[in-house]
Amino acid sequence: MRVRGFIMGYEELFPKNDLSGWHANAVKRFASPFVDNFHDRIDVDPIILSNAAVNCGFTIRDFYEKPELGIHCVGYISELYDLLPVTHWFFSLPWVRELGITLEYKDTLPPVPTGPILDANGVENMQPISKQDLLKGSTVPLFYGLYDYVQKNLGHTLVPISYGFDLVGAAAELIGVEEFIMWTFTEPDLAHKLVDSYVATSINGAEAMADKYGFAMLIVGSVLANNDIFADEQVEEFSAKKMGYYVDQCFRRGAGPQVFYHLCGNHETDYKVFKKNLLWSPFNVLHIGYQGPKVFPSDLLKKEFQDVTTCMGSVDTKLMINANPAKVYDQAKESLLAGRDSKKGFILGTSCETPPYTIPGNLLALTRAARDFGTYGTW
Amino acid sequence: MVIKMDIVFSDEVKKAIEGKGLKVDDIKKVIEGAEASNDKITNGSKFIAKKVLGDVTVYADYSVGGSITVNSGYAHKMKLQDIVMDTADSEWTYVKNGKKIRKGHTNLSFMGATRSAPSLVDPASGESWLEEYLAAKTIAVAEMLFSQKRA
Repeated sequence: MRVRGFIMGYEELFPKNDLSGWHANAVKRFASPFVDNFHDRIDVDPIILSNAAVNCGFTIRDFYEKPELGIHCVGYISELYDLLPVTHWFFSLPWVRELGITLEYKDTLPPVPTGPILDANGVENMQPISKQDLLKGSTVPLFYGLYDYVQKNLGHTLVPISYGFDLVGAAAELIGVEEFIMWTFTEPDLAHKLVDSYVATSINGAEAMADKYGFAMLIVGSVLANNDIFADEQVEEFSAKKMGYYVDQCFRRGAGPQVFYHLCGNHETDYKVFKKNLLWSPFNVLHIGYQGPKVFPSDLLKKEFQDVTTCMGSVDTKLMINANPAKVYDQAKESLLAGRDSKKGFILGTSCETPPYTIPGNLLALTRAARDFGTYGTW
Repeated sequence: MVIKMDIVFSDEVKKAIEGKGLKVDDIKKVIEGAEASNDKITNGSKFIAKKVLGDVTVYADYSVGGSITVNSGYAHKMKLQDIVMDTADSEWTYVKNGKKIRKGHTNLSFMGATRSAPSLVDPASGESWLEEYLAAKTIAVAEMLFSQKRA
């Protein structure tokens, strides 16, 4: 980056985190829900991405075009709102470039595909990308470079992560989302072949990450596969079962044991198909965004999943750009009171990534609610 | 009458077992216990047996022909507790009761915390087993993270 004629590393743009104060406390708090070592309060994770860049005076495009800058913004701004002590950087379409898609950077969005690249014949002949080829591609080098930067400049926040992310949604981009939805009815075998090829590629990518770092947290979700588009049976066949397979295969290749399951969008009734199909490790978090038009209720999340996972409750992301911090606070309070005594821990989140232009007062409202109501049970 | 068979370790298997901090004698104890009691699971071509030795659960993966050939040995520190759920049939059968083993999840406890992990389970007896890839990779890293996070 050139600032007034000088070449600067991104690390020179940020003061160091308060390691002995904020970070030390946040580390203990972050461990709480996973090891039953309760500390401070329930953690808040608004899935902060380009909002961190905006908060530091950069743009949404900067966040995605300059991953090292983006992740440094996340590490730095997390201190302001007393969020997680770890960093992440991602967008929803890892591995698709190796499969042939061209991504275009935008001013106001994460990278988007320029268009579908495969037809039925192309899918029939589709092969997963091997680990060796992924090492020469763009996604693995991108994340190796990113985590090398974090290791050097933000080592206290490092968690190597491999993203399967939205297995169905990313695969669908290869033929076009509308076409994919049609195929699930008219050409289900081809639709499965398409998703399976993306899943196999993602598994190879996770192995490449685990090879370098010794382990790799997994983030995998069901975003396109939700009840606004599919019936429960389709969500199970195309998404839940493949998510379970993805995690099992990643475990066999040395990735994990941490898993973040992100069920974005409306999972009104399909939430029932995930418990039996997913793999639950000693360190996993399950997050469900919505039940119909409303945030997924934390009491239901707790009832269904507390015996296998740490649960992450939601405040509606729409509220995060609404000039009404009290509304955020009230919904956060409701989520915390309903979920805070989950058997394997609870985290307060937003129903998806907090929007880039989230109002700072609303992020403060989340943390304030966690301080006021985020005790674990009667602790 | 129990016929005692030779237990054979190839140099490679022996090295791998010792590389995991386990003793060959411990693997022998697991096999001898399993052969005496039928407390083992089989997929038709090999057996897996387990035994708690001190603070660890030690597993032997072995085949039986003219002698007993050890394929591998592994262990985990997390303690097996109750079965959380079973979800599908596996290729394994519990020799002791003849029941089909199911894929499932079992609670494991370690350093005061209880968390679940994928496992092979027999709901009838309440017994669970971890496969080698889970014990040697996923659970081994989890034990390390538990130790760090509880510190």
